[in-house]
Amino acid sequence: MTTGAWICLLSPLLGALLITLGGTRLSRRGAAYLSTASCFVAFAGALVSFAALLGKSGGDRHHVSTAWTWIQAGTYRSGFEVLVDPLSVMMMLIVSGVGALIVAYSIGYMDGDGEERRYFAYMSLFVFSMLLLVQGGNLILLLAGWGMVGLSSYLLIGFWHERPSAIAAAKKAFVMNAIGDAAMALALFLLIQKTGTLSFGALDAVHSSSVANLVALGLLGGAIAKSAQLPLHTWLPDAMEGPTPVSALIHAATMVTAGVYLIVRTHVIFEQAPKVQDLAAGLGAATLLLAGLIALVQVDIKRVIAYSTMSQIGYMFVGVGVGAYANGMFHLMTHAFFKALLFMAAGMVIHALAGEQDMRRMGGLRELMPRVRLAFLIGSLALVGIFPFAGFFSKDSILAAAMDRGAYGYILWVAGLAGTFLTGLYTFRMFYLVFGGERGAFVREHFHELGRGLVVVSMAVPVAVLTVLSVIGGWLQWAPFWHPVETWLQTVAEPLVSPTNWQEAVSSVVALALGLAGMGVAWMVYGARRWAVPSAPFWQRTLERKFYFDELYDTVFYRPAVWTAHALANWVERPLILGSGPEIGTETRDLGGLFARLQTGMIRTYALAIASSLAVLAIVFVAVK
Amino acid sequence: MLVRSVSERHAPANESWKPMLGPSVAWYLCVAAFLFATGALGVLLRRNPLIVLLSLEIMLNGGNLALIGYARHLGDGAGQIFAIAVMAIAASEVVVGLGLVVAMNRKHLTLDVDRLNTLRG
Repeated sequence: MTTGAWICLLSPLLGALLITLGGTRLSRRGAAYLSTASCFVAFAGALVSFAALLGKSGGDRHHVSTAWTWIQAGTYRSGFEVLVDPLSVMMMLIVSGVGALIVAYSIGYMDGDGEERRYFAYMSLFVFSMLLLVQGGNLILLLAGWGMVGLSSYLLIGFWHERPSAIAAAKKAFVMNAIGDAAMALALFLLIQKTGTLSFGALDAVHSSSVANLVALGLLGGAIAKSAQLPLHTWLPDAMEGPTPVSALIHAATMVTAGVYLIVRTHVIFEQAPKVQDLAAGLGAATLLLAGLIALVQVDIKRVIAYSTMSQIGYMFVGVGVGAYANGMFHLMTHAFFKALLFMAAGMVIHALAGEQDMRRMGGLRELMPRVRLAFLIGSLALVGIFPFAGFFSKDSILAAAMDRGAYGYILWVAGLAGTFLTGLYTFRMFYLVFGGERGAFVREHFHELGRGLVVVSMAVPVAVLTVLSVIGGWLQWAPFWHPVETWLQTVAEPLVSPTNWQEAVSSVVALALGLAGMGVAWMVYGARRWAVPSAPFWQRTLERKFYFDELYDTVFYRPAVWTAHALANWVERPLILGSGPEIGTETRDLGGLFARLQTGMIRTYALAIASSLAVLAIVFVAVK
Repeated sequence: MLVRSVSERHAPANESWKPMLGPSVAWYLCVAAFLFATGALGVLLRRNPLIVLLSLEIMLNGGNLALIGYARHLGDGAGQIFAIAVMAIAASEVVVGLGLVVAMNRKHLTLDVDRLNTLRG
């Protein structure tokens, strides 16, 4: 049971180490195969753990395996341990499964890049870090994984390090995540002080509500930074500078959803701090609306999908914020399928168009890439939540759960429904811009087939698998009829809400209707082009500037910091520190010159000085005596 | 020998000690002071290094005379031994000093201590 978990955790690490140590002795293709194999072995390990857990009864599904004592200080002790329980196994399956598919896709996508070894070492490192995050048997290991996924994300966003914009984006992501990491670390420090331990059981031992509030707030800070929720969301769209499979794996399927996992994992503390949990749901709702609106005007295909990711994670935050943990996790899973699919399909489009990401230059790819179009269409339908695709089942049950949370829940519900409309609109705007319409000059000039053989196969197979999963993945749980995910996670996180069938039905129907409405509007405007694109310059400018968040942070944090640095340089460093050095030197030399005049070099002066001093001493001696 | 003589000086009583005949110690000191002052003036006023060295010797001898005078007055041998030590040192000093004078002469330097002021700050 835990053997499978250990294999799952360590195999990607081994892959990363072998690629790193192998260096040029390993061919580029070899590195790609090694990395892919390590991820598939991890998936096999996860499957073994999953099968072992299935064989146990509900209460016996919690296993901790400690390898060694990792940190010991006084009475505090943390082991290097993995936790195997329904929640961690579910995450293991998603991370290693989707991860393996995306790494396999990278074989073709990164072919001929020139630095594949580095890329695949980073990818394996990321998968290891993410598995450490979800398998870590205590909060400190979780935090270690948390920091390491941030590091791998930084490395992979800045993978094309010759591009200044990629480096800037990588730094931005790292700094934003560091804010969240710091908040989380503070929460853990407080937890150590109050309970003396960082096992997940420590969360039960917090009895003071102010401590619970602070700890929950700190954890929420970490969650919103990692999951790109308001107000720490600005890094995610910029993170699209990385290679497309990286966006698919890290910035869509796995890492950015870690915040959702964190809240489910530490739900005990959030339940003791209901206000913070409401805040999480509120931030999720605000993010899903804001991101949906911004996605309407973006022209970069990857940025549209990135905003859509933020928006979908907003739904998950609403889910776990109202206490529907299983629904949030279920949406996390289906989202991993269809969002990875969308990114990888978009990656194929980008590849076929010589790296172009601007949707205004695309269009008319319908006949050129029919299979990619089909995959993209299915991913889009799943994203909007159209029956019978995956998003329908998972998103609508989150909305139904929100309905069950009283008046506040209705606000979230309305926001979620508005988000559904926006999702339909921006998703199909993107779809029609890329595949509909006439072929533009750019497409005619630059389109080329994806190549033949392994390159295409390695890209097409994962896309095909994820297409199938996006179609059937949702059927795993259909809230009113069957709910294996909820049953599976029940021992880890008991839901706080239990929506009625009526609420499920209303949410599904309204959400489906609004999603279709959004798609309809998108078809009228961008597909059939019967309606002109509505003109509202103020709103368009506001949305293109992403609600001025970057400008705000620039004004509030960056400029004052630069100003302070300049002020200190001009008024403190230069006059005081740089100026005082030569000044001290000159003064000392002048003083020395003064005393040097005493040294005449004439022996008789010295003799006279000695003699007169002696005479004075003798007189003083006699007088005193 | 020096150590023993010091320990003997602190012995309770020296049975064989008797006051010496001759002038009192003050006269010896007067001559010693005169010699010392003569030497000091020589050192301060003369500019020829040879004369300066010579004056230094006169100063040392003045000091020696005072030591011996006191030794005789107190009936203690330590003063005499100090005088011998001072003479030995004076001899070494003369060697160095005369060596310097010879060296100066060989380098055709003016024999004038006031011109030797290279160490001026």
